[in-house]
Amino acid sequence: MSSPVFRRVLRRESHSPRTVAMIIAALLMLIVLAYIAVEIVLFLLDQPALLLSPAHIASWLIGLPTQRPGWLVPVCGVALALLGFIFLFLALAPGRLPKHQMQHESRAVLVDNGVIAASVAQHLSDETGIARDDITVGISHRTADVTVRPPVGAPVDRDAIQQITAAEIDSYRLTPTVKTHVHIDRPKHIRDAQ
Amino acid sequence: MNRTNRALNRIVLFISGALFFAVGAILVTILVWPVGAGYWAQAIEAGKNWLDEVIPATTIGESSNSWVTMAGLALLVILMILLVVALGRVDGHRSRTVLCSTGAPHPLGRITVHESFVSDAIKDCLNQHDEILSSTVTANNVRKTQVMHVSVTPRQNTSPAQLLADVDLLTTNLTTLTGQNVATYISIHSGLRAKLAHDQRRVL
Repeated sequence: MSSPVFRRVLRRESHSPRTVAMIIAALLMLIVLAYIAVEIVLFLLDQPALLLSPAHIASWLIGLPTQRPGWLVPVCGVALALLGFIFLFLALAPGRLPKHQMQHESRAVLVDNGVIAASVAQHLSDETGIARDDITVGISHRTADVTVRPPVGAPVDRDAIQQITAAEIDSYRLTPTVKTHVHIDRPKHIRDAQ
Repeated sequence: MNRTNRALNRIVLFISGALFFAVGAILVTILVWPVGAGYWAQAIEAGKNWLDEVIPATTIGESSNSWVTMAGLALLVILMILLVVALGRVDGHRSRTVLCSTGAPHPLGRITVHESFVSDAIKDCLNQHDEILSSTVTANNVRKTQVMHVSVTPRQNTSPAQLLADVDLLTTNLTTLTGQNVATYISIHSGLRAKLAHDQRRVL
């Protein structure tokens, strides 16, 4: 479905709003700004400062490179820079949620990757006879990683598993499309013997 | 669904992130780079001297307070108000609306279908499906268009294609019943409850 309303819904619901990070950033900024404002007001009213008056702040800033203990300022600097980097990353990264769109003629549909993975694993188990617990499927934005741990001595056709998985995923009509990677995980001593 | 202003969220994050990063980087630079420390001391000294000159020259009337200080304070207050407004807009505007479908006039009256009816009807039907653990139905207003949101949490290993077909059939039936084709958004969720629940409904 490609109406503007559905496009907007799908876009919003498949991306993180960054609300929690924004609240933390805004609260930190508010605390800093409120402190500076309070110190200025106290200075204007000729009242004693809460921590440092504006004149003392200026002197403290000038002497910052020689402040003791010497480790405190760099540690604070690194912590602030790291926090800033995280906020910048969150602001600029797309924030895609682990969901896929399912194509439908008249509805907008989003499905969690976890639902797709569990369904594919169950389908593989039904088709191949391998126990469900021995099949692990991980769905990311563009790939489906299937790991099969077959019983000792049981032959496993990797191509067949690949085809079954691809066919099942294709039937979901996912957007974006997902490529399948199959990994047969045999115990190490079996691999060595082969 | 909500109307949280995501662009505003990212702008606040970007500005605060850039500020924190710049302050942190400056702190580290002036400590590890002696030339930087020199520039730092000069810049702060120059700023202090500028304020020492400007503040006495811009006093308000007979008082010792300066317009510059007041302007700085006003700027801080404006910034704080903007941040509070931004915080107030977070999730504050649910786009939820009342889904209301009114039929054509008739000598005997007209039929109006409300969201609660739609919600209950679809949820009751969905709850009869063994593979569905929980479902919610809400109506939202997106760009002045009513959008019905059907949120479904299935049991683990349920095929999303089958689930979609079931929900689609229900909403199609609802459209037939009410005569109004409401835009429908279907979300299929996994989660802790789905992981912990049995694959099949327990038979008592």
